[in-house]
Amino acid sequence: MNLLNSALRVLFDLLLYPFQALPAAVGLLVVSALAAMGMLWVFKRTSNQERLEAVKRQIHAGLFEIRLFNDSFRRIWSAQLGILRNNVTYLRLSLVPMLFILPPLALVVAQLQFHYAYAAPAAGDQLVLTATLDEGWQDSGEVPVSASGKPQATLELPAGLVAETPSLWTPADRMLSWRLRVEQPGDHVLGIHIGDQQFSKDLAGSRPLQRRSPVKPGRSWVDQFIYPAEVPLPADGVLANVALDLAPAEVALPGWKVQEMAGVPAWMTVFFIFSIVFAYALRKRFGVVF
Amino acid sequence: MQPEARFFLHPLTAAAVAGLMLLGGCSSPDSISRSGSDGSSASNVIVLGFDGLDYDLTRKLMEEGRMPNFSRLDAENPLAKLGTSAPPQSPVAWSDFITGMDAGGHGIFDFVHRDPKTMAPYLSTSRVVADPAAGEPFQLGECQVPTSGGEMELLRHGTPFWETLEEHGIETTILRMPANFPPSGTATRELSGMGTPDLLGTYGTFTFYTSELFFDDSDISGGKVVAAWPENGVVVGTLDGPPNPFVRKKEKAQAPFEVRTDPDEPVAKLVVGDEERILQVGEWSDWVPVALDLGTCGKLMMTPSLPAMARFYLKSLTPEFQLYVSPLNLDPMDPVMPISTPASYAADLAEGSGRYFTQGMPEDTKALEGKVLDRAQFLEQAHLSRDEMLVQYRQILADWKGGLMFYYMGTADQISHVLWDTLDPEHPRYDPVESPKFADAIPDAYVALDGMVGYTLEHMPPNTTLVVMSDHGFTSWRRAFNLNTWLWKNGYLAVRDAQSALTAKFFGAVAWDQTRAYGLGINGLYVNVVGREKKGSVPESERQQLMEEIRDKLLATLDPKTGLPAVTRVYLREETFSDGGYRDIGPDIIVGYAKGTRASSASSLGELSAEVFADNVDDWPGDHLMDHESVPGILLTNRPLPKPAPALRDLSGAILAVFGVETDVAAK
Repeated sequence: MNLLNSALRVLFDLLLYPFQALPAAVGLLVVSALAAMGMLWVFKRTSNQERLEAVKRQIHAGLFEIRLFNDSFRRIWSAQLGILRNNVTYLRLSLVPMLFILPPLALVVAQLQFHYAYAAPAAGDQLVLTATLDEGWQDSGEVPVSASGKPQATLELPAGLVAETPSLWTPADRMLSWRLRVEQPGDHVLGIHIGDQQFSKDLAGSRPLQRRSPVKPGRSWVDQFIYPAEVPLPADGVLANVALDLAPAEVALPGWKVQEMAGVPAWMTVFFIFSIVFAYALRKRFGVVF
Repeated sequence: MQPEARFFLHPLTAAAVAGLMLLGGCSSPDSISRSGSDGSSASNVIVLGFDGLDYDLTRKLMEEGRMPNFSRLDAENPLAKLGTSAPPQSPVAWSDFITGMDAGGHGIFDFVHRDPKTMAPYLSTSRVVADPAAGEPFQLGECQVPTSGGEMELLRHGTPFWETLEEHGIETTILRMPANFPPSGTATRELSGMGTPDLLGTYGTFTFYTSELFFDDSDISGGKVVAAWPENGVVVGTLDGPPNPFVRKKEKAQAPFEVRTDPDEPVAKLVVGDEERILQVGEWSDWVPVALDLGTCGKLMMTPSLPAMARFYLKSLTPEFQLYVSPLNLDPMDPVMPISTPASYAADLAEGSGRYFTQGMPEDTKALEGKVLDRAQFLEQAHLSRDEMLVQYRQILADWKGGLMFYYMGTADQISHVLWDTLDPEHPRYDPVESPKFADAIPDAYVALDGMVGYTLEHMPPNTTLVVMSDHGFTSWRRAFNLNTWLWKNGYLAVRDAQSALTAKFFGAVAWDQTRAYGLGINGLYVNVVGREKKGSVPESERQQLMEEIRDKLLATLDPKTGLPAVTRVYLREETFSDGGYRDIGPDIIVGYAKGTRASSASSLGELSAEVFADNVDDWPGDHLMDHESVPGILLTNRPLPKPAPALRDLSGAILAVFGVETDVAAK
């Protein structure tokens, strides 16, 4: 998983490099167009186009039947049943290409998330850094603790970041937290020392469009799938993950500032709208029925 | 749409101007000044309304060189005294300014009015009006569906001067104007100010969570104290909102929160819903969004929660846990009451410069008086509010396209109220050790406003008239005068039992059938008139004679400690206020206390005390609710106004004249 993520990180860093100085909407426009073309290509090759076309014709016929025989309850009812049956068939026929499209799309979405979902921290912004210890952190005996049982950790911050609070230990969550303030935006690497172990967390903030991850994951496959944007923590360490509460980014469109809504990042809303528009616009050129 | 286009297209505007021309009171439409869309052409006016800026102190600080921007303006147009309202209370004063009328015209005489039919007090500027057609809530098991939500009603009458400008096609932006909640709806952009309630509908109710078993909460009037103990390092509490409207039994909308404390360091994590903040002891949080849960019934009604926000101050973790939570403010991102025009403007402002307080007066003087916050903590809170306003103001000024803009700042007033002893070593509250520590607090508040004036001069569009004004002055409040006790001791107010009279609240021991006069509010004195008051005892025919008798006695009353008169002027209603339609709801007499003396807080709420006079040792050493002649505000402009403005009531007319609008506001 780590190898795949490493390759995708390089690929998307290169792909999005030309858009670094441009508004987020421009990059999303291009990526959406490429994604739409990719999905059309896969859809065409993995779906039964003839069957799909036939089913669509059946559905249209049913709709016409309802309009033509709107005085006949029996015919309307029969047409409705036909439309429903054909819709189920349509969904079943779409399922196969979707199975081919979704896995790569998920990987693409995961990469885009870490380029577009989080805003670059500005000077004066506050961030909370949280290091979560492994469930068995006490077993190894490698973590020094205070008399009260608090793990002793030190923070190593680069110039441009300051810790505004001492470490806060919440034993129920196994979390050590610090409140940081950005004095100078930039690309920073934060260090956490626990006993003899050293950990790091990236904070990219020199440019608006950059790969930035709120979580440096542990070694589990699921963690790495969800947070592919950063090299995972060492397997033998006492930390389960390290997190930074990055603010969500907005995407400015002409006349509309798209924001995170109900947990859906702004970029994702824009990406899906653009992708759908491109897919519809290009479907005839690709000779795809859907 | 361009302002001039609006002017010519709007038929009502055209009719209004035509009428004025016929009366010969105005020039032709073409002569009315208009602002260009870039704010650079024609006339623009910015009014900075600084609550409670005192003329003498302003002049002193200018002479000391601490207010260079005021001095710069003063060199062009000298700083002038601006006559305030009778009585000189902020809601009254700002209403004078807004409408160009006195209290008889706009109907605001005090913070508190009374309904003579029930003798119940009510807040003078706004009220909730239930829909008369609304029936009982529709019952649905444990839930209920309210059939009407009721509406907020602004009780200030009269036409705001900005409405006249809008009628002439001039855009107006009116921000945080006092006595304008709910917003009038007549400006292009409005944000309500003083008088805007918190989520509970009060002028501000804080909550103090403490593990201190014997915390003395006897002095707390604007908040509540809640017991809270850490268990395994975690304090669990709830923020209480208003009653849940969707449940049949009495239940409050609530939001749970946790404070997870560190075992070694003075630091804790605050968790409210999805929001988390790390706070050290002695730190304030930013505005934390709070969703008050409306339970299953709320979810069924598609309203699962009430949005609000609060600031948290972690006062102490050991030896006692102490957490102050500000009044629950309406969240400007999603306010549950109307606070702006258009309704989306409050959220637009928050998106531009961050969440901001929406409660009318954010400086929590009640928490200071209740010893929940000390002076340093109070000042920190006041500075947070001030800085928030300054950031917001800069954003608004940058976006402003011209016309009229008004922005209000109330911090100097609130700081002056609670720290004036630091400027007055003769004050009974003056502590030779403690008071000098805060001697710079009030001057610093003035200096910050000077900086705002300087920023405005640098960034405002050319051809802008800048008006810097305050609604009243300020002075030391050394001696408290219990007007109701004075009336009692002079035979005008009778009690059923002398002993219980001293502990009874809100006229609880008053024998109304033998009472001829009573005091309510700070400057108000009412005659107990037959047919008007619930249990009146004075026939209308004797009212005038009684008022004159009381006036003469009050003017002859000397403070036994100082030997000076307690009252310098007594204003009889008919002699003082124009009959603008609302004179009759005000007091019969306005008492103009001598500088340094004010009605006691107890008297203003219908309580009696053993003595008429007492030293004022409350955490409220400064005030202005005296004879209005003795506490003028200030007026400072960057260019002469086309019309003189000796008093607040004249100022709105002078501002209209800058735009070439000669409407007689007072006549309207």
